[in-house]
Amino acid sequence: MRDAILVENLGKHFNRYHVTKPFTIMEAVLSGLQRIKPVEHFWALRGVSFTVEGGKMLGVIGHNGAGKSTLLQLLGKVAHPTEGRIKMRGRVGALLDLGAGFHGDLTGRDNLFVTAIVAGLRRQEVAYRLDRIVKFAELEGFIDNPVRTYSSGMMMRLAFSIAVHTDPDILLVDEFLSVGDLSFQVKCLNRITEMKEQGCAIVLVSHDVSQVERLCDRALWLKQGTVMAYGEPEVVAGQYTSEMRSQTQHRTPHRPPQLTRTGAQLQVNQNRFGSLEAEIIDVRFLPKSAIESGDRLQVEIDYRAQPTVDSAIFSVAVSQEDSKPCLDVNSLEAGIPYIPLQEKGTIRLTLDRLDLSSGQYFVNVGIYKQDWSYAYDYHWHVYPLTVDSKTPSKGILQPPMRWEVVSSKTPQLLPPR
Amino acid sequence: MKQLDQALNPISLRKPGYLWDLLKSLVDRDLKLMYKRSTLGIAWTLINPLLQLLVFIFVFQLIIKIDIPQYSSYVFTGLLAWNWFQNSLFQATGIIIDSRPLIRQPGFPSVTLPVVVVTTGLIHFILALPVLVVFLLIDGVQLTPIVLCLPLLQLIQFGLTVTLSYFLAAVNVTFRDTQHTLGVLLQFLFYLTPIFYEIDSIPERFWYAYGLNPMVHIVTCYRQILIWGVQPDWLALVIIAGVTLILLPIGYRVFRRQSLRFVEEI
Repeated sequence: MRDAILVENLGKHFNRYHVTKPFTIMEAVLSGLQRIKPVEHFWALRGVSFTVEGGKMLGVIGHNGAGKSTLLQLLGKVAHPTEGRIKMRGRVGALLDLGAGFHGDLTGRDNLFVTAIVAGLRRQEVAYRLDRIVKFAELEGFIDNPVRTYSSGMMMRLAFSIAVHTDPDILLVDEFLSVGDLSFQVKCLNRITEMKEQGCAIVLVSHDVSQVERLCDRALWLKQGTVMAYGEPEVVAGQYTSEMRSQTQHRTPHRPPQLTRTGAQLQVNQNRFGSLEAEIIDVRFLPKSAIESGDRLQVEIDYRAQPTVDSAIFSVAVSQEDSKPCLDVNSLEAGIPYIPLQEKGTIRLTLDRLDLSSGQYFVNVGIYKQDWSYAYDYHWHVYPLTVDSKTPSKGILQPPMRWEVVSSKTPQLLPPR
Repeated sequence: MKQLDQALNPISLRKPGYLWDLLKSLVDRDLKLMYKRSTLGIAWTLINPLLQLLVFIFVFQLIIKIDIPQYSSYVFTGLLAWNWFQNSLFQATGIIIDSRPLIRQPGFPSVTLPVVVVTTGLIHFILALPVLVVFLLIDGVQLTPIVLCLPLLQLIQFGLTVTLSYFLAAVNVTFRDTQHTLGVLLQFLFYLTPIFYEIDSIPERFWYAYGLNPMVHIVTCYRQILIWGVQPDWLALVIIAGVTLILLPIGYRVFRRQSLRFVEEI
């Protein structure tokens, strides 16, 4: 097979602007147009070379900000390379932000036509493939309903189905396997394999190393815009994983074991992880660490920051002893964008009721960097919580409940208590 | 090198047939959206200028008397041309920001987007023409063969609007308040266009500056061919068409550059 994608010494240069770059005409006039100039330049991607043959799949792995999406944009020709060369043979299709172009007020059919034509098909071609697309998306009974009535799964299925039925010669994929339920994912995978066999060249961008290892014929590891490794997926994935592990350990400083106030031992890299730029000094449960199901529970976290941390995210998670998660909340998603940490302080989370079934739980507590990139301090399986309940139940939940017989022809069968 | 140039310019890769399909489906989508979002649907596009007309007739025939013959036809012609111009510019200004998913699609010719907006406006204009004809008949206007110049006139206005749209949409990427600023500017321009008053009411010493507004000439030309049945002001039309032809490729490039920049900014 000849090369479908040829990339040579690709580089993309970005300008970073002043944070107060004017966003409106008014501001620009007032600030005298000086701050429009970029203050800094950086390479989002540099010296990247690879080829993908028709019928092969390349996996691209790397952290956020490693240049993966920039690479996809360049391959999709929605951005110009600053240097280097890209050669793409044939029509390029993409599985990027699936369903983002749909209009809720239009029917599935209308959206299907527009999306497929935008992806590069002629109108008759879409009409000819219509049945196949709808069948693959499993939307036969719904295609003439407005898309706003669709569940997110249905929307994804439709978007995916359109994208894989436009017969691209090259397919760009951004994390596709989160589409729909398990059986649909299997179907998607089969379809992708089928396209590969028909000679489609695929570029898959993924966080999931094992996925790249499983599916791809070659792998490319990007770090800060440059190629760290390029070759057999097993080899690249191995290098990537070991580098990630050493990174985390590198961030976690060595420190002798500490004791919490309740006497549990905190040991770095065993039940405590993080850079310790900010530390959790103590965690208290109010009223106490053994509660009745449905009781109110307050979690107070004492922290210390040395010297100060501009902004952090607090997270509290309740899990069963076997680590099965029951509750996972954080301050960011609760709508508190910034929590600046200065020296010492306390954060309190109030759960008005905790309707867990009786058992032993752990409360895992963490402080994270504002962009979730790593933890400052995370205590795992340190703080036990006991929940008691008068009525036993299986499973995780024990909500307030009552049974009632609403209608029954033979009420006398239920003896009064 | 030639191949690379071609690849960087998706339009040249496409057959005209495909672009036609794309334009048709996007216009079709816009019309359907408009139709579905209000109970009155497409009728709104008729009711709107009719209500405006009613206001002008009320104010300038009953309160302040302006003596213009065939006043309903006179104002309605102006309103149709102006509304097409104003609505298209207003919508097209936000088009890059509003169409992120489309622009991110590999190979999508984003430069068609303002064309879609202006075409949708043109369709509304054409749908309103029967109503205009009714006004013309009521006002006792005799249509002459010069009416056949109408498509040419629409083509010139189309080109002018698309060209301006390219620039405005491009500016809006850098300055997100362009749309608001434009609203005020367009209102100003509305009064600087002879829509409800006669061009002769403008003092002669301002004529030169006043004439710099291309819509002055376009609106007048519509009236010349539709109401008065005379030759349109060919000189003005040739100048507008010429300037459009010079600015269109520049606007096209600026728009393309800015839409790429917008996608990169994410």
